[in-house]
Amino acid sequence: MNPGVAIAALAVVSVATAVIGFYGLRISRTTGDFYVASRTVRPWWNASAIGGEYLSAASFLGVAGLILLSGTDALWFPVGYTAGYLMLLLFVAAPLRRSGAYTIPDFTEARLDSRAVRKVTSLVVVLVGWLYIVPQLHGAALTIRITTGLPSWVGSVAVVIVVCLTVVAGGMRSITFVQAFQYWLKLTALAVPILFIIFMLAGNGTPALSPPAVNPTNLAPAGLYQNVSLLVALLFGTLGLPHVLVRFYTNPDGQSARRTTLIVLGLLSVFYLFPTAYGLVGRMFAPGLARANQADAMVLLLPGELVGGAAGDLLSACVVAGAFAAFLSTTSGLVVSLAGVISQDVLGAGVGGFRLAAVISIVVPLGFALMTDSLALAGSVGLVFAFTASTVCPVLLLGIWWRGLTDAGAIAGMVTGGVLCGGAMIAGSVGGANNLAPWLAQPAAWTVPAAFAVMVMVSRATVQRVPKTMPRVMTRLHTPERPLATER
Amino acid sequence: MTRVRVTAPRSAALPPRDSREAAQDSEVGQVFVRSLIRSQLRLALVVAGGFLLILGAFPLLLAVVPGLTETRIAGIPFDWILLGAGIYPLIGLSAWLYVRTATRNEARYRDLAKDQ
Repeated sequence: MNPGVAIAALAVVSVATAVIGFYGLRISRTTGDFYVASRTVRPWWNASAIGGEYLSAASFLGVAGLILLSGTDALWFPVGYTAGYLMLLLFVAAPLRRSGAYTIPDFTEARLDSRAVRKVTSLVVVLVGWLYIVPQLHGAALTIRITTGLPSWVGSVAVVIVVCLTVVAGGMRSITFVQAFQYWLKLTALAVPILFIIFMLAGNGTPALSPPAVNPTNLAPAGLYQNVSLLVALLFGTLGLPHVLVRFYTNPDGQSARRTTLIVLGLLSVFYLFPTAYGLVGRMFAPGLARANQADAMVLLLPGELVGGAAGDLLSACVVAGAFAAFLSTTSGLVVSLAGVISQDVLGAGVGGFRLAAVISIVVPLGFALMTDSLALAGSVGLVFAFTASTVCPVLLLGIWWRGLTDAGAIAGMVTGGVLCGGAMIAGSVGGANNLAPWLAQPAAWTVPAAFAVMVMVSRATVQRVPKTMPRVMTRLHTPERPLATER
Repeated sequence: MTRVRVTAPRSAALPPRDSREAAQDSEVGQVFVRSLIRSQLRLALVVAGGFLLILGAFPLLLAVVPGLTETRIAGIPFDWILLGAGIYPLIGLSAWLYVRTATRNEARYRDLAKDQ
């Protein structure tokens, strides 16, 4: 495609993001504003913001690429990403909002009355955040390389600069506006080109090159174990993601946290129809895009391949803008939540500490992203979900619903899950992704139950450590606040 | 950047007691709280279990009923429609049912706590 058009699209998205971020600066005043937008964001705004933040490089580029490669097997990715939000609604949305904490470590410390649990949780949250930022930066690098021909690092560095500017300037309040804008930008950027392509193909009566059931490469189909394990990771990983959780604190109360999640589910369901459509159209009309060994770039290349000419350039610019919005929004959401954790636990609170922490939380994964090569985006994000599901998810679920959880149990479970899942991830990256045993490639199906089991058993063995504050905290988590809240 | 002033302290530990926690001061209040937690957990488990059961039934249906994967609607194979679009309404329906019932559980708790 035309590099000038792509660069213009990138510039427009970056400038729009920065402008909305600076607009938010005028209304950010207190430490509370910086972390959680003062908890006064309306459900529709908040839901759009959650959608904007959640739909990452993996959703925007990776899902369609995987569907192109492996067909209906890959449809479990968008289903899992959405159903993960259902689990979040069922098990954590309202209680977590009612806990009154800013971050996940705040929650675990208050629930288990233990500084040690707080330290371990912080470490896990920072690790998850860093692991999740890396694929976003890889996505940006890929996009820049494919669409402009510039070297890969330009993409990663550009994302880091824009994110630093907006987060350091405005905190969560401005981020909320930026994210909400980016959900709708991403949806439009993905929907318009594919609808144009579908109408064009239908209007011309273009015959399909290949039936949708045929894989364009000789990739082996995933077995039952891998699909189940992937679903476990996505269902239980979502509710532990730090940038997703921090969003719930911006709701005024537990019931509005539920309403917000309901809207989010609708927004995600609509969004994921489009990567699926890209994947299907790609399989039928442009199977050649899979063979270039860059299936992740399929969304970016499809308009140029099927439409071509000036119209193709325009549609490509549209997808490039949306993809860049995806990298920016997910990365800034992660940076805000990581900076919240790092500044509270390492640097001391206050706005100055928050800014420094924001820079730290993005520079480390940038270094890692520059040193490593991009794998399949949806796959590497799936592994981060597995890690979250094996560490943060058990402590949240048991902390919210089980009176018997103790600090010793929580730490033992998180360490077990982290070591097992982290070990599988390292073994996978050392051993090469292609000839890996399924149980190592998709570890969630055994690491998540192991983490839960250890957490329960150690808690049972240390019953005397159940904190005295437990009944009070459980009451706070589960009882509705402000008796008249529904009658507003 | 100097316009931004820190006026709110961080609140890492548990915030002070509020009226909600007054409920657990009495033994009866604590019984209400426990029963609310139990009913909310049961509701969440039932909705999650039902959803996963139907989710598992979809691929099973495709495997068991012959010819279903070859069926096409408007040129799109049926398995793509089922897995690519058919699951989302199911997710939305489960979520809506849950929110409605969870809110009702809380209203019931509130009535009990008020009467007490």
